[in-house]
Amino acid sequence: MTASLLDLVKTRTVLFDGAMGTELMARGLGPGVPPELWNTERPDAVRQVYAAYYEAGADVVSTNSFGGTPLKLAAHGLDGRALELNRAAARLAREAAPAGRYVAGSMGPTGKFLKPQGPATEADLVAAYAEQARDLADGGVDVFIIETQYDLREALAAIRGARSVSPLPVFVTLTFNSFPRGYFTIMGDSVARSVAELEKAGAAAVGANCTLTSEQMVGCVTAIKTATSLPVIAQANAGQPVALADGTIGYSQTLEDYVRFVPAIVSAGAGFVGGCCGTNPDTIRAMVRVIREEEKI
Amino acid sequence: MTKNEIYPKMNEAIVAGDRGAARALAEDAVRSGLDLLEVVEQGYVPGIQKVGELWERGEYFLPELISSAEAMKAAMAVLDPALNRQNLGARIGGKVVIGTIEGDIHDIGKNLVASMLQAGGFEVFDLGADVKLERFIDKAEEVGAGMICLSALLTTTMMNQRRFIALLRDRGLRDKYKVLVGGAPANRKWAEEIGADGYAENAVAAVKLAKSFAGRP
Repeated sequence: MTASLLDLVKTRTVLFDGAMGTELMARGLGPGVPPELWNTERPDAVRQVYAAYYEAGADVVSTNSFGGTPLKLAAHGLDGRALELNRAAARLAREAAPAGRYVAGSMGPTGKFLKPQGPATEADLVAAYAEQARDLADGGVDVFIIETQYDLREALAAIRGARSVSPLPVFVTLTFNSFPRGYFTIMGDSVARSVAELEKAGAAAVGANCTLTSEQMVGCVTAIKTATSLPVIAQANAGQPVALADGTIGYSQTLEDYVRFVPAIVSAGAGFVGGCCGTNPDTIRAMVRVIREEEKI
Repeated sequence: MTKNEIYPKMNEAIVAGDRGAARALAEDAVRSGLDLLEVVEQGYVPGIQKVGELWERGEYFLPELISSAEAMKAAMAVLDPALNRQNLGARIGGKVVIGTIEGDIHDIGKNLVASMLQAGGFEVFDLGADVKLERFIDKAEEVGAGMICLSALLTTTMMNQRRFIALLRDRGLRDKYKVLVGGAPANRKWAEEIGADGYAENAVAAVKLAKSFAGRP
């Protein structure tokens, strides 16, 4: 029996993976096609991306199910296929995972605002996340990662949903923006309040992903660490998207620039580190190298 | 109430995002026979401007912005018909066609920009999400809009913002419209590169930009 991720992180820095969607696009996923669809239509491509991240040294790979809540799938008319798509996302990752590595069931935002800003009720969201969590657990994930959450209330509903159907640990990362007064979600949730509420709701690890560059992530991790005793997760963007001369899109941080701040993210207190938009298996490989170097010292 | 009493209250109602108060004050203004254009410009608009400032300072976040935009809409729902009866349009900003571009279903940011533009005095034609490029043009031609706003959340779909400008050019309509682009992956440099007229980082900035194109303060 493999040690749990929560035990492993007490002994060393644990590596997550990088971006998923852009890797699938590199393999031909067209604009407007929900990536989750490829779990059944192009399973080899999805498995290949998972394998590439494990090969790069990721301890944990997140499933291709970011948009897999039934509420989000409904935007593509795919809500009836939540079970099939989420279970396949998890199974493919399980198949790709070498012994001793982990699979995290990714759950991203539903895209619906809660009342009064939007049409959704807390019960709607709890039910949507419960269904996705059940499907991912069915496919064999080790933990859930509720990520890129811009509304603390939705993240809390997601935790409730996941915990209502499964005993697996729930990891949660919110998307914070950097403001003069500190780090806040777009809904105005501060780091201190968010982390306290997530912990109270039963999250096993908390952190931040997306939007912030690896440089900005250092300060954000510091703020999170002071607010909780839970393990901290950090998955920064490689800066912001930029249009390149050849008509494709790149990211403003180069690989070297991105990785340069990784030791500081770790020493600020992140036990789980990975990448978000603009990162790829090469980024993870370079992160593994720099983190293992630091650990030797 | 005299206008010296009522204008600050209107301002407060918008800043507080109080829909009920914003509507009641507008009804009061109509009943009292106040100059309704002045009511809009001196009672309500300073409120929404203040909200924009609070947002820019990081004091207000999305929930406050949405509440204030809703309060503004509630007031305008009372004032617009009254102004129309007097043959005075409060929608002095002009007409704007807005939508999330083809291939992209994300509409939260776009909805917010649409609300704030409406709150800012523009007549807004919101085409929703995943809008075909041709439809933006057809709608703009149909209603006589001056501005077209294109949202894209994905790095893949933002390419359609570039295609849209090309399509506008092909149809010989490029100079007829101001084209504004926005969405998470877009930025000023992108707007310049594809030949858009402007880029706004958020809903508050979008209103400022649209007003500058409409020649309004």
